[in-house]
Parts: sequence; structure tokens; C-alpha cells
Amino acid sequence: MEQPFWDLPVRLIHWLLPALIAFSWWSVHNHHIDWHIWSGLAILTLLVFRLLWGFVGSSTARWSSFVRGPRAVTDYLRGRWIGIGHTPLGALSVIAMFVALVVQVGLGLISEDEDGLYTGPLYRLVSIDTSDNARDLHELWFNVILGLIVLHIAAIIFYRLRGKKLTKPMITGRAVLSPGAQPMRPGKWWATLICLALAIGITRWVIAGAPPL
Amino acid sequence: MPIVRIALASIALLAVTATAATVRVSGPKAAQVMHERHEGMEAIGKAFKVLRREFDSGSPAVPMVRTSAAQIANLAKRSSGWYPAGTGPDVAKTGAKPEIWQSPQDFAAKLSAFQKASLIFNAAAASGDMNAAKARYADLGGTCKACHDKYRTEMHH
Repeated sequence: MEQPFWDLPVRLIHWLLPALIAFSWWSVHNHHIDWHIWSGLAILTLLVFRLLWGFVGSSTARWSSFVRGPRAVTDYLRGRWIGIGHTPLGALSVIAMFVALVVQVGLGLISEDEDGLYTGPLYRLVSIDTSDNARDLHELWFNVILGLIVLHIAAIIFYRLRGKKLTKPMITGRAVLSPGAQPMRPGKWWATLICLALAIGITRWVIAGAPPL
Repeated sequence: MPIVRIALASIALLAVTATAATVRVSGPKAAQVMHERHEGMEAIGKAFKVLRREFDSGSPAVPMVRTSAAQIANLAKRSSGWYPAGTGPDVAKTGAKPEIWQSPQDFAAKLSAFQKASLIFNAAAASGDMNAAKARYADLGGTCKACHDKYRTEMHH
């Protein structure tokens, strides 16, 4: 029988990210730098929300449930891991993706385009040279994100070949659990609203150029 | 009368730009033009970024705005000689697209719009009215974008 596995915010963020990443890529290559910047700010909102949700969200959304040491990873590789949510190995990929996106958004926020026509909202915190370098790095760093996406998809295919379907639970939020595993404990609906309000508030503050509070 | 000066300068510019893309150069001359173009465009970009920071600061430093505006107007004037035929991507690495020489009239019109906007912005900066200067600066940026969207590729160096 299928039981709760991923909560709704986790799934929404999961699918919004590739959509926004694709849109960011498309818009910047088609002279829509303004849309590109808004897309990045939407990603920033998702990242802030996800960070907070990782402390108060459902059991499988929490950092504490999947950020583990190397021993957990070796245990998992030896088949001695029981649980639901991100596996100790998959968690490494999640953390890498999260950090890579934080770096990418951070670089974008202080960047300016080659002509000085468009700027990230925090460009004034750094010098012109730093802004220009940040833009070049921002472009290079996209390859790191692409690499992680390829790895992610390769892992899904690998598990699929071994008979484990990972995509469907990320859509429906439900999965058949392995024996002995506890189903997901949901987060509070009002905690979702607080995280969302904070994420939007912080993003708006960044858009305003991060003025002193 | 700055308006008259701008008008006269614009006419002179139009006369020059009309021939810009029809002259052909080659060899060391082409390399020299492409180098000057690259350095010139980079300097315009740099001045534009300096101005952006000034205007966004809320209290722009007038001398800084005037210097950068004059620099852009000066380089814009010289840009008429930056696009002779024979300086495209088939000759050497450049961000200039071949379309420049395929639609010379449209390109000349866009270059001329940029040059005019640079003069108008320079006049506004010289007047010391920073609100007017900021508005003309935005107009100038529009002429950069109009041309770059169509005639420049992303170039890495």
C-alpha cells in the first residue's frame, strides 16, 4: 500500500526548479535579461523557502533527516539502511544541488551584463570589476549545475533499471515503503505559510538592494 | 545653442555613417580597426557602468557624470569608422555579426541613433541637471540594446 512520502511543498519546489532553470537559460540567450533576473529571484525565493522548510517541514523534508555523515553513506551502500526520504547517498546530491544553486543565485545577484544595461539587485555592493567577474563565473558555474542535473537523471535511470521508480513518488507524493520504514509525518500548514512569507520578504529585501534594517 | 549644435553634429554623423559599412578594408588595416573597435566599445561599456552606479546612488557626482558622458560621446563619434566591410567574424574573432554588412542601412540608422543619443545625453550631463541626465542616459542605453540585440554575438575574452 502506498503511503505519504514527499510533502506538497517539496514536490512543488522540485518541479519548479527545473522549469525556472530552463527558463533562465532560455531567457538569457534570447535577449530577455530582465526575465532572466526575475527567474533568478523566483529561484531565490524557492531556495530560502526550502532552507526554512528543512527545519520545520515534514519528516522527509528536514535537513536533520537526511544530512548524514560518511558512515551512513557506507551503511547504505552495504544495504544496511532503512528509512524513507533521501537516502544517505542521494542526500549528498541534494546538498550539492542546493549549494550549487545558492552559489549561482549569489553570483547573479551581484552581476551586471556586459553593457551595464542590466544588473542584479545587489550589484552596488561590489565594484564594477567584481560584478563583471561574477557574471563570467555565473556563466561558468551553470556547467556545474548542468553536471549535477545529468548526475541526478543518471541516478534515476540507474535505480529504474534496478526496479525502483523514483519519479512517480515525486509527483504523487506517495510510495510503497520498505518494511520497517515509517511513513512521512507531515509539517504544519501554518508553518508553510510562515516559511513562504519569510521567503518572499527576504527576496523583496534583496530586490530592494539589501538596505540596512 | 546646444540644440543647434546637436542637430548639426547629427547631420554630420549621418553623412559619415551612411558610408560606414560600404568602405572595405583588409590586412593590418582591418586588424587595427577591429582592435580600436573592441577597445572603444569596452571603454563605452565601462563608462556606462560608472554612470549606472552614479545614477543609482541617488546623489550622482556631477563631474564624474560629465566626464563619462563626454567620453561616451567622443567614442560614439569615432564609432562611425569602426565598421568597414572586411572586419566581420570571417576575418577575425569579433562580437560583430555578419548581419551588420548584410543590412547596412538598418545598421547605420541604429549606429546613428546611438550617436545622437550620446550627444543629447552629453548635453544633459553638461547642463548639470541630473534628473534630465538620468532620463537621457536611459534613452542612450536603449540605443545600445537595440543594436546589440541584433548585431552583436556574445563574445568571451
